[in-house]
Amino acid sequence: MKSASLRAVATIALSALVAASLILGLLPSYWIFLFTSAAIAGVVLQGIGIVAGRTGMISLCQMSFAGVGAWTVAWLSLHEVPGSLFLWILIGGAAAVPLGVAVGLPALRLRGINLAIVTLGFAAAFDDVLAATTFPGQTEFKFVTRPSLVESDEAYFAFCVAAFALVAIGLELMSRTRLGATWLAIRHSERATAAHGVSVPGGKLSAFALSAFVAGIGGGLLAGQLGTLVSDSFNLMQSLAVFVVATMVGARHAEGAAFGGILIVFVPELLRQFALPQDLGDILFAVGATQALSMGASTSETFRASLRRLRRRRAPSPAHIPAAPPIAAPLTSPCASSAAGARAPAVSIRGLTVRYGNVVALDQVDLIVPERAVTGLIGPNGAGKSTLIDAVTGFIRSYEGTLTMDGEPLDGLAAHQRARAGVRRTWQQTRIAPDLTVGAYVRLAAGRTVSQREIADILEWLDCPPHNELVAEIDIGTRRLLDIAGAVAARPRAIFLDEPAAGQSYEQSTRLAARIAELPDRFGTSVVLVEHDIDLVRRTCSTVTVLDFGRVIASGAPTAVLSDDAVVRAYLGAREEALAG
Amino acid sequence: MLTSALAGLAAGGTYALLGVCAVFTYRMVAVVNFTGAAIGAAGTFAMVLLNEQGVPLPAAVAMGIAFGALISALIGAVMARWFAGASAQTKAAVTVAILVGMIALGLRITGGQHPHRLPELFPGAAFSLAGVVITIAATVSILLAVAFTTGATLFLRHTRAGLQLRALSEHPMAAELTGIRTRLLTVLVWLVSGAASSLALMIVAPQRAPNFLSLSELIVPAFAAALLGFLRNFWLTVAGGIALGILEGVASNLVSLNQYRAGVPFLIILAILLWAQRGARWDEIR
Repeated sequence: MKSASLRAVATIALSALVAASLILGLLPSYWIFLFTSAAIAGVVLQGIGIVAGRTGMISLCQMSFAGVGAWTVAWLSLHEVPGSLFLWILIGGAAAVPLGVAVGLPALRLRGINLAIVTLGFAAAFDDVLAATTFPGQTEFKFVTRPSLVESDEAYFAFCVAAFALVAIGLELMSRTRLGATWLAIRHSERATAAHGVSVPGGKLSAFALSAFVAGIGGGLLAGQLGTLVSDSFNLMQSLAVFVVATMVGARHAEGAAFGGILIVFVPELLRQFALPQDLGDILFAVGATQALSMGASTSETFRASLRRLRRRRAPSPAHIPAAPPIAAPLTSPCASSAAGARAPAVSIRGLTVRYGNVVALDQVDLIVPERAVTGLIGPNGAGKSTLIDAVTGFIRSYEGTLTMDGEPLDGLAAHQRARAGVRRTWQQTRIAPDLTVGAYVRLAAGRTVSQREIADILEWLDCPPHNELVAEIDIGTRRLLDIAGAVAARPRAIFLDEPAAGQSYEQSTRLAARIAELPDRFGTSVVLVEHDIDLVRRTCSTVTVLDFGRVIASGAPTAVLSDDAVVRAYLGAREEALAG
Repeated sequence: MLTSALAGLAAGGTYALLGVCAVFTYRMVAVVNFTGAAIGAAGTFAMVLLNEQGVPLPAAVAMGIAFGALISALIGAVMARWFAGASAQTKAAVTVAILVGMIALGLRITGGQHPHRLPELFPGAAFSLAGVVITIAATVSILLAVAFTTGATLFLRHTRAGLQLRALSEHPMAAELTGIRTRLLTVLVWLVSGAASSLALMIVAPQRAPNFLSLSELIVPAFAAALLGFLRNFWLTVAGGIALGILEGVASNLVSLNQYRAGVPFLIILAILLWAQRGARWDEIR
């Protein structure tokens, strides 16, 4: 285990231990009962944190999942199934998973908003089922039996805090895996995630299933706490309320979920103590959530941001900007290195036509991307360059023509399958999820096991910040380099770079040119470079293709193409007139 | 069978109208509005409370509709002020938050202790069809749904404000840059859909459990209807809402299914989504 994750795990375990001991040592039993409820609510909130906080979807049926967990535990207890409460709770969580999958599956490939509607529909339908059935043992007044180890309320409280901490630790460790990075990436940009070769529906489904599991555990814990259950604990309104609280506190972080659990239990309790109507609490949560959404930051996110600032102020980091390493050697003209025409094609595009309604964005475009070479793709704005990348990488559903890589057809493959097959891309606007660290991003983009050493090498080679830096804290220009770092870490057959030098200074773009020119030999990849910086194109490309209004107007060696009359006209307008004038 | 199917018509008309309101707000201001039915419930209870205070019914209805429209416009103003540039997910989450606040407030004001009598706006039978009596309420609610849809379609197509609204829905930022008063238009969209939702709920409320929460939950069948119209098509939504009502009527007739009646919209939602995802779709901007 790496030291960073070790520290995070220790922090959670220690905080839980200290909080539990303080509460047990100082507070009377009524308060301990309330804090038990808070810990359980915290578990359910962490479940929402996976779907809503990390993956950016809306789930409005978490208490229904909790209800399934609770029902299962009550049933297992009534039938005295061996294994005691500890096992029953796990089974309860597992029982919620298939339901979560069934609810989530239909909406995963559609716009996220559909999932919100499905989950609301499910919560409403579940209300009806609850109204029509009773919890096992309810009519016979049989309570859920606790094992002797957690028989007392104090012990059960400790057990619930431990469960909360275990879920938090599990999620913390998970957030450091590729799956955890996938969730955050999906929340930021589904397209960019698919471009890393990650199945977006798969990522969403795993988040949804795990969140149902955690909610089911929460329900099971509740069954053990109360012994007997009422359906009102799991109705639609409760599901909506926990979603709102989760939004307000930011339940994807453990401290947010803990705070939210405390709010859910103690706000109504305080209102009761002051003889105020308890439903004021929901109004308070509604206002809090709206406020958090308008700020774009929940309680826990604000808390973490200020913690970071504080830490930074205390220990001013040494001058962080790395000195620009000198460019190794003056660039040889890439054309001179070898005759590009002789190379085998890595990707070939034949007769590619893309229409948006009546507009023909690409018209019968042919482009051969030779192996281990940099091919330039230039043209004025709106010429169809980005459309070509979208079509090749699988982000346009209907096009005509054939796309092959190493002779194998790409047509019919989804975007993430094309990325896995070896066609990678970057975006005109960088789309890296800001919540990721640099290292986690490269690992996510690589899609294979990469050693720490290799990541460090790539990052250093491209002048990127170290692996533990948070993407949110690096500037946009550097993020563009990180885009390239991610793409090359995947060792693809071909990389489509969409204006990598946009927003870069002259020095940066000079350095970038050197790096791009080295990509084929260093990583064994072909590069298609879409760029407006003609200087960069001239420095790096062995062949250049020019698009104008969706058609290829010139193709060949850079010097010849760039002085071609048609090309100059496309870029600068009619030359003759300028001369005549 | 036919009797129970046609008995679902009144509910179907309401679902259709609420569904059209949902599509209207989604298309015009890109908000999936979870508060739609709650706004209607607010208007309905305003009407009921005023009526109990001795305000004559027609006046109470007018004031109730105005109240629903006002609440809706207020929510619209919040949306326009703070969430104009936010993603669809964020906007939907905001309406969920507001919904929770509204339900809490609504239950508090209308109270669970003493039940309210919800007056029937359109009592009596309109005509009979194949021996089954069709109520005026059912007829009116369906006619309203059709009228609202026709009105909205004509308005969007043939008026200047309609043109501006379409511009707003296509590209809010560009619309604002051409000098369209986007905030005003946004609030107007909310105002209109709030008024329509209020009227829809006033008609259906007497047949439902007369409390604020259960009326607010009518948003579920409304969304099911809207999904049948793929959140785009008004007429499909109207048809979907009516079909949903009829299906619910049939389900309530089958004793074995009756208690799970409200599961019908959920199953419909699932079926439509399964059908709709034949091809993956990317979230527009991301």
